[in-house]
Amino acid sequence: MAAPPPSAPPPSAPPRLHLDPGQLARLGSLTIRARVIVEGALSGLHRAAVHGSSVEFAEHKEYSPGDELRHVDWKAYAKLDRYYVKQFEQESQLTVYLVLDASASMAFAGGGIAKLDYAAMTLAALAYLVIQQQDKVGLIACGDPALETLVPPRARTTHLHDLMAVLESLIARGGAGDEPPARALARIGELTRRRRALVVLVSDLFDPDEETLRMLVQLRAQRHDVSVIHLLDPHERQFPYDGLTQFEGLETAHKLLVNPAAIRRDYLERMEAFLAKARRTLTDAGVDYHLAQTDQPLEQTLLQLLVSRSRLGPARRGR
Amino acid sequence: MGFLAPLMLVGVVALAVPIAIHLIGRQRARVVKFAALDFLLSTKRRTARRFRLRERLLLLVRAIACAAVAIALAKPYTSCARKGPQVTRGPQAAVLVIDDSFAAGYLVDGRPWIKSASDEARRILTQLGPEAELAIVRASEGADHPSELTRDHLRLRDQLIALEASGRPADTTRALARAAQLLAASSHARKTVFLLSLLARTGLRPDDPPWGKDGPALVVSELRPAKLPNLAVTSLRSDPEPGAATRGVAFDAEVGNFSDTAAKVELSLAIADRVVARGTLELAAGERKTKHFLAALPAGVRAADAVVSLSGDSLAIDDRRWVRASLRDRVRVMIVDGDPRTVRHDDEVFYLEAALRPGDREDSGTSIRVITTEELGGIEPRAHGTAGAIDLDEFDVVILANVAALPAARVNVLADWMRAGGGILISPGDHVDPAAYDRTMLPLLPQGLRDPIDTTWGAPPDERDSRALHLVKWEADHPIFAPFSKAAPELADAKFFEIALLGPTTSADRKVLARFTNGAAALVEASSGAGRTLLFTSTLDRDWNDLPIHPGFLPLMQQAVRHLARKHQAFGDSDHAVGSQVVLPTADLKKLEVRAPDGVGTVFEGDRLVGRSSVRFGRTDKPGAYRVIGTDQTGSTHERDELAFVVNVDARGSDLTLAPAAALPPSGTGTGGAPADDERRVELWHALAAAVLLLLLAEGLLVQR
Repeated sequence: MAAPPPSAPPPSAPPRLHLDPGQLARLGSLTIRARVIVEGALSGLHRAAVHGSSVEFAEHKEYSPGDELRHVDWKAYAKLDRYYVKQFEQESQLTVYLVLDASASMAFAGGGIAKLDYAAMTLAALAYLVIQQQDKVGLIACGDPALETLVPPRARTTHLHDLMAVLESLIARGGAGDEPPARALARIGELTRRRRALVVLVSDLFDPDEETLRMLVQLRAQRHDVSVIHLLDPHERQFPYDGLTQFEGLETAHKLLVNPAAIRRDYLERMEAFLAKARRTLTDAGVDYHLAQTDQPLEQTLLQLLVSRSRLGPARRGR
Repeated sequence: MGFLAPLMLVGVVALAVPIAIHLIGRQRARVVKFAALDFLLSTKRRTARRFRLRERLLLLVRAIACAAVAIALAKPYTSCARKGPQVTRGPQAAVLVIDDSFAAGYLVDGRPWIKSASDEARRILTQLGPEAELAIVRASEGADHPSELTRDHLRLRDQLIALEASGRPADTTRALARAAQLLAASSHARKTVFLLSLLARTGLRPDDPPWGKDGPALVVSELRPAKLPNLAVTSLRSDPEPGAATRGVAFDAEVGNFSDTAAKVELSLAIADRVVARGTLELAAGERKTKHFLAALPAGVRAADAVVSLSGDSLAIDDRRWVRASLRDRVRVMIVDGDPRTVRHDDEVFYLEAALRPGDREDSGTSIRVITTEELGGIEPRAHGTAGAIDLDEFDVVILANVAALPAARVNVLADWMRAGGGILISPGDHVDPAAYDRTMLPLLPQGLRDPIDTTWGAPPDERDSRALHLVKWEADHPIFAPFSKAAPELADAKFFEIALLGPTTSADRKVLARFTNGAAALVEASSGAGRTLLFTSTLDRDWNDLPIHPGFLPLMQQAVRHLARKHQAFGDSDHAVGSQVVLPTADLKKLEVRAPDGVGTVFEGDRLVGRSSVRFGRTDKPGAYRVIGTDQTGSTHERDELAFVVNVDARGSDLTLAPAAALPPSGTGTGGAPADDERRVELWHALAAAVLLLLLAEGLLVQR
């Protein structure tokens, strides 16, 4: 099922208070910001807006002392005259992996806040929401290969503070490195093994090798729920520069002295082609794709994700 | 290299300006940290490269332009060895002496030398600048020279562009003398003669130099190639050769090898545009040889144009030479001897016969029949239908030498014959009675006779010669006197002791062709119908004068007889040099047209012809065969072969040997300063200024891109 157009509001979303990302970024701690977003802008939304497969049979295990008796498969005992215990994955909780692209390109801030700040606030709000549902949520940040950031999924309320602290430290550090999210996504595949999880990636997807797209498709093929918030700065989409300008790369040492007017048309065509390809590749693979800009209200971005998840939830569970 | 204003080099500091602008411009560029740089790089990597290249080019162009302005203001110059004439710009008087002789058409690298000379002259003209007063003097023989210097450089430039090699030899000495005259009239302190010449020795005479030490500076161009080998047909003669064939003509073509190597020359003889003979000559360096040809003239013509050509070399104009070849016309003369003697040398016509038929040869061109006065009684023209003892129509000329007055009937017969085209020469003598002549002979006479005078009458023998009369004031242009110079001692030295005087006349037809020292007429001519009559007022033997024993008697009689017979010699006087004047007899013509080899015609008629016995034709600028077309009094027009002539280049101009340096006049100071040295200053700021303009143009184009 194709994702709704990113610029259009979800049809079922009620009118909300719009939170300016720039002003929101000036609010105290990230926890407060997440609470403002969730409880202010998203109040009234169904609590189980983030659906996952809570109880799923995994395998039989021969009974051993200490196993709970309620998990003994009596039908198997009747057939085989031996005690087997049914084992379940994610026995009762949804596991959500939040993947934050903290590479240097995410530090770009055209006219408003940086993409990294926007992404961090978005993921913080999601984490707040997931913890409130008493599901497990973890965090992986990518970008700087020398600095691995992994917060294992937990469902405790205190875990939320850990998550927020990590996100705040990432914001404080700023974007760094040029490693695309592909490696982090691969790590999730290793961590979850055969257990299904909800993976939410916020990234600009600037990956010259397109490894990230391939890994997202691969995760989806492993039956994980994958949502991608493709985050761009308005300047990256409109290229509003004029006059002699020297562009310097955030992830490379390249410099380009150029008259932007002379190359605007070509740039915009290439950007649109890039967006179209990302959208087509991901939606074709069943990835929940959302294009967002840093100048759009955060709750709108979240609503797009949550509404989309609420639609996809029953279908995914039925599989 | 040096600088006239080296302080201006400080301006090179301005070089820092474009560099600073460039660097500031780079700093002024907004720096944007951009995430999607890969999109820019991949799309516009080439654009960026071009942009960087453009920026660097702009910097380079601006820097060079700034430096060039400063260097140009410092007025740089360089010195170089002189190549070509030294030219100094500014107010001055100068004359360009340019060799436009036919040798200037010499092909150097496939291009006439005179074109290179013209280019060089225009270069000098430009370098002299607009303040210079100039004149162009052509160095060919007989060329028209300007009368004054001028500042009209445009007109001079047009003259140079139109300059072409003439058909004349060089006369550089005369041109230099004219240049000196022109410069002498100028008030400028600086005076220069620029000589652009092949410096052939034949054009430079070791005359007195046209100027002294204080004269103009002489700047000689170095346009002459090191070697100018040349082959030329230097002479061509034709003579009737009855021994070879009835219409046979012998041609002697002399070929000169004006080079320092031997040459083998192929020659061809063409008559009436058809090659009739070929031959070769092997010539050593500097040698001249004659090739003898025998050929026959085409049937039906008594004269034709013949040309001898040699295999082409770099100077074509002297590789061909024309000649008017003709069979000699025999003039039939009847001499009436009025005083025949048995002693041969006492006979009245002894000297006349010898003059008209020298050596009594068949090829003398004259057939003579001598009769007495009594025999003359039998004359009857065939036209009258009466058979007589003597048929006048068999004769072209009748000479009455000391013949007593004839009866009127005989006179009338002779007069009729004369009006029909005959020619009569009358000379008096002791048998001539002027009164009797007045009575019957007037129809044959240009003017009536009076008694003769004896200038030595009563003089002692030692004073006899001093009292004698001499011939003076003859019509040099008249065909009869064409072989003679104006002084002609062979005529002027003859002494006339007795002459017949002439009576008064009002006839406009009669013309005195020669007079004696006392003013009396010596030779009188008159026309009558289609014929002519001549009256010589002294005897044709030695009774009244000693003319018959002077060298002038023979050509005078020959010319007189041929003139009366209208049969002019085609030899000798039919060959003219380019630029010379040709005298053409016009007695019985009312219109005469001369057509040059290129077909351009010159017409003489009306005032240019009426009352003249001859006309002078001077447009002989092109070598070749000239045709003459005449319209007689009856209105009939036909080609006059006997008047046709050929024009050839002067063979002197074919010798292109370099003249010795001493043949040139010394170079004066011109300015009163030092003579020109071999170094010259070349100012470079003009080129730099032009470069700055081009750089600014390039900068503008780069900025637009």
